[in-house]
Parts: sequence; structure tokens; C-alpha cells
Amino acid sequence: MNKKETLKSSLRILKRNKMRTFFMVLGIIIGVASLSITFTIGRGFQKQITERAKKYLGSSDILVTAVKIKLEGKSVDNNLVSSLTIDDLKAIASEIPLVSTYAPVQFLPNCEIIAGNKNISTSVRGSSATGQIVWNRGVIKGDYFDDAEELNATRVALIGTKIAETLFGESDPIGAQIRIGDVPFTVKGVLEPKGIDPHGNDMDFDIVVPITTMMKRLMNVDYIAMAKIVISDENRMDEAVSGITAVLNERHHITNGESDFLILTPTFVKEKIKEMTKVFNVFLPLISLIALLAAGIVIVVLMLMSVNERISEIGLRKAVGARSKDVVSQFLIEVSITSLLGGIIGITIGLICFKVFCSIIKISFFIPWQIYVFGVLLPILVGIIAGIIPARKAAKYNPIEALR
Amino acid sequence: MIQLKNVSKKFSNNGQKPVQALKETNLVINQGEFVAIVGPSGSGKSSMMNILGMLDRPTSGEYYFENREINTLSEDELASIRNKKIGFVFQKFHLLPKTTALENVELPLLYSDRKNIRGLALDALKQVGLEERATHRANELSGGQQQRVAIARALVNEPEIIFADEPTGNLDSASGQEIMKIFQELNEAGKTIVLITHDLTIAAYAKRTIQIHDGIVNEN
Ligand SMILES: Nc1ncnc2c1ncn2[C@@H]1O[C@H](COP(=O)(O)OP(=O)(O)OP(=O)(O)O)[C@@H](O)[C@H]1O
Ligand SMILES: [Mg+2]
Repeated sequence: MNKKETLKSSLRILKRNKMRTFFMVLGIIIGVASLSITFTIGRGFQKQITERAKKYLGSSDILVTAVKIKLEGKSVDNNLVSSLTIDDLKAIASEIPLVSTYAPVQFLPNCEIIAGNKNISTSVRGSSATGQIVWNRGVIKGDYFDDAEELNATRVALIGTKIAETLFGESDPIGAQIRIGDVPFTVKGVLEPKGIDPHGNDMDFDIVVPITTMMKRLMNVDYIAMAKIVISDENRMDEAVSGITAVLNERHHITNGESDFLILTPTFVKEKIKEMTKVFNVFLPLISLIALLAAGIVIVVLMLMSVNERISEIGLRKAVGARSKDVVSQFLIEVSITSLLGGIIGITIGLICFKVFCSIIKISFFIPWQIYVFGVLLPILVGIIAGIIPARKAAKYNPIEALR
Repeated sequence: MIQLKNVSKKFSNNGQKPVQALKETNLVINQGEFVAIVGPSGSGKSSMMNILGMLDRPTSGEYYFENREINTLSEDELASIRNKKIGFVFQKFHLLPKTTALENVELPLLYSDRKNIRGLALDALKQVGLEERATHRANELSGGQQQRVAIARALVNEPEIIFADEPTGNLDSASGQEIMKIFQELNEAGKTIVLITHDLTIAAYAKRTIQIHDGIVNEN
């Protein structure tokens, strides 16, 4: 069979049966577009959360949170516990050489911040002088607090850009007096703007004070909520995690697996994100596959109709020399062209929607490789599977019956 | 070129009593002949042509085409012989409707390994005097023109033999005569032609006439 001419003649046939071609293409478009929209949106969310999480937890960072954990870490009590201390961190740093630095965290939600006649409600975080390295966030104005201020529990505060804007407008906040609740503080610096954190909070509303000031003057506690530990070699993450676990187990006298701390690593977070976005990555695309299945059924029906309409054409083709396999491949070529066309239009629609979505959730546009599978391989596969029955039926016609 | 030895064709439709469309037929057709097969309706003319044209197989008997017994050949081999050596012209033309005259003529070439399909198809249209209508769609042509396109299609792959089943049956007598003149010219140029008709004035164009009655062949 002459391939080029057959392809050309298939295209002509499709062009001349516009209605039928249109509905076959439409079915595939709907299936492929919904599949690629749900899938790319899932990937978009995943990317957005991952990007945010990266700001929060770098590849050599470990978070230790003071939460109650039962049964080998399977169930987590949301209640923070009061057993993690700065001394624990000091012990970790001295016993595990892999630990290069760390910063403790303690926070107080819904604090009233007052400056003159302006006020704002936000959460306050206690950190240490190492915080600017550990959290990768310095100041854009003024200075970070230092070790001495941390040691002395000095009442100095670093404020986020949006707090500075709200409380001080255009005027310089450095050196200004604010009150956190009833306690007076001096503004020492303005924190680098960071945007939204993985929990969806705007980090530019952060306010950071020395951890000691936080514990003694604002909360009157002797424990911390969590700590971020930075290690010197990200490839030895597992070793660091088991070292930290051992130190804390010993210091907290944990033996029966009912632990009072949770260790978060970048890998763990990645897994969590995957789990969270599962609905988009797995379930919704699976539902869209049903649309593609429906498209397959549409193809079967339309092709069977087409075969019935074209009995005499098939008979004639056989009379002039077409073999059964030529007839089968003619129908399969026709259905592949339609499916491919539908697939390409479908992913184009999907990617346009995704591009809009990317700009809405403020991530850079990208094309997941799976899109090519959805837009090219899958439709052709659906088309051929759906087309094979009608095509075989067509090839079986006896030319004399078909020509009567 | 063609030889039928005791060929019979029986149709046994489920339930109904079987019809014997051809009975113990013996027939020889040589290269370059122009044969008319005539007989009343239902006499077995089309059944005969379908067997001669390898669109159907005999129930019993032997059919030699260029000294090969066709019962030993597979469907694909028969398709290939139909493509290379046989041209068909039908009463109902059987052109692809929304398709141009030229593309209709090209059809057999799609299943051959011939090059320059377009050129060959144009030449064939020229032979039937329709080159000006090449880009017209089949349904825009008159009956006589459609049948000429069908003849061009039968000719395009340079077959040894052309089978025409009532080629003038759907035409007025003027266009019928035109068609017959084309067949006559083709025969003069050396093509073997087997014409099926029940019209004796049409049969008169042929050099040899075979009568068929209730599946039995009679030559005068
Ligand atoms: N596929 C078939 N199934 C059953 N019977 C058939 C079939 N084809 C033909 N016949 C029968 O065989 C006999 C011969 O039919 P055939 O079509 O060969 O006649 P014909 O001479 O071509 O007639 P016409 O001039 O009307 O075309 C008829 O009785 C017809 O009913
Ligand atoms: Mg007939």
C-alpha cells in the first residue's frame, strides 16, 4: 500500500465528513483537556507548596518540634509539649559534630503590637542570633540582634516589612518604641521580605525577638516549641536524624516509642506534600480518564456508523485490490489522525488553562512531561483500541455483498 | 487466458432452499477477446462475473487464470491479482461520492506500488475524454461522465482484462453508446473485455456472445 497517498486520502475523507470528524475530535479534546487540566493544576499546587517549603526547610535542614507522638510516629498529637529545651539543643550540637548550627523557636500567637496610636495583631517569634543564617533571613534595615542581647534577654524586636508599613508608614522604624502586649520593645531592624510560608501565612507580618526575651519576658516559660538544626553535609541526613533522636531519647528518658518530639526532614516534607496533592495527582486525573473512556465509546459508535455508511466504499476498495489489512489500517489511520488532532488541541487547551493558573498562584509556568503522554500517546491508544473493532468489521465485508 | 472447468455456484441462504446460480460451466476466454455474456434477469450473469473477477469463489469446479488455479490462492493473493490484472466497471458506477474524478481514478493505485499516481490517473481520464473534469467531484458529473470515470479507474493500473456488469444499465441510450465506443476502442487497443448485459443492441458491440439461462451457458 502506498503510505503517503493513503495518508493523504485519509485526510481527505476526514475533511469531507466534517460532522463525524468534529465529534470524534471533540470527544478526545474534552477527555484530554480535562485530564491535562486536573493533572497540571495538581503539579502546580505541588510546585507552589514545594517552593514555599524550600524557603522554610532547605536540603540540609532538620526541624525538631516538641509534639507528643504515639506508636512509632504514626499518630501525632497536635498538642505541643513542654519538654524541649535550649539545653537539649546545646547537647545535640556538642555531641553531633555534623550539626553546624541551629536556632530555637518559640512563638506566641495573636499578640497586640502597638506603636503610638496604631496597632496590629500578629504572632511573635523568638529566635536566636543564629536565626538569620539558620532561617536564611536577615534584615534590610537596621541590625539583627546579637549574642549579648540574646544572653541578656534585651527587649529588642525585628519587624516584617508589612508591620513596618502598617505601624510606621513612610517614616523610619529603626529605634522606635513598640509594645508587644504590655512589654515595651525597641525596633532594631526590618526583616527581609519573604512572602507566604508553607502554611499560607504572610511572613512579612512576622515579628522576631531574642528567644530568651520571648521565654522570660513575654511567656515566662523554660521550654521551646521547636528548633531548626543545620547540618554540614546534606548527604548524611539519616545519620544526623538518628544522632538527634538518640540524644533526645536519652535526655527525655524515652524508651517505649512514645516520643515527645517530631523530626521533620526535607524528604519527609516532600512525602507529605505528595500525599496532600494526591487528590490532584491521582484521583482527579483518574476521573478525567473516564471522560477519555467516554471519548473512546463515542469513537466506537461513530466509526461503526461510518463503516455502515461506507460499505460500498469498502467493497469497492477491496474489488480494486485492497487487502483486509489495508482496510483495517485505513480505518486505524483515520482514527489515529482524529485522536491525535483531538489530543493536541486538548493539551493546548489544558496548557493554556494551566498557564493562567500558574500566574494566579504565582509560580513560573512549566510543562510536566506526562502532558505529552496524555496528549499524544494516550489519545492514539484510545483511538486505536476503540477503532479496532469497527475496522475489523469493515475489513470482513465481502466485496460482492458490499457492492450490491 | 481464462478457463472455467465445470464451475458451479450454489447459494445456500440459511433456511431457504439453495439457489444454483451457475451449473457445471465450461468456458474459455482468450487474450484480446471482446465477449458479451447475455441472459435474462436472474440467469446467473453477475454470479459468473463475480467468479471470473475473483470477487467470489466457485462452489465447485476449477478456474484457471493465466494458468493458475485460483482456488489455491489466498484472499490477499486474489486482491493483488484484481489490483494488477483486472479492471471492473459496475452498473451503479460505484464512485466515491464527495471525491474528485481524479481521486476516484487513483484509487486502485493506492494499493499498488506504482509511482506518479496523479500522472497515471490523469492519463486514464484523458483516455476516456474527461481530463477537463478531473477536479470535479463525482456527484457533480452526469451519469455518462461518471461511468467514464469508472472506466478510467478500471484502466488506470493497466489490467489485462476488464469486466463490465451492465455498464450501460443506468444510462440513456446516447451515453450508453458512447460508453460502448470506449470499450470498442479499448478492445481494438488490445484489452480483453467481458461485458455483461441483457440488452442485445449493447451485446452487438462484442465480437463473441455467450448466452446464459438458469445458470447454464450456451454459445452460438
Ligand atoms: N448472495 C446471494 N445469495 C443468494 N442467492 C443469490 C445471491 N446472489 C445471487 N443469487 C441468486 O442467484 C441467481 C443468479 O443471480 P445473478 O445476480 O447472477 O443474476 P443476473 O443474471 O446477474 O441477474 P440481473 O440481470 O438481474 O442482474 C438468482 O436467482 C439470485 O437470486
Ligand atoms: Mg446482475
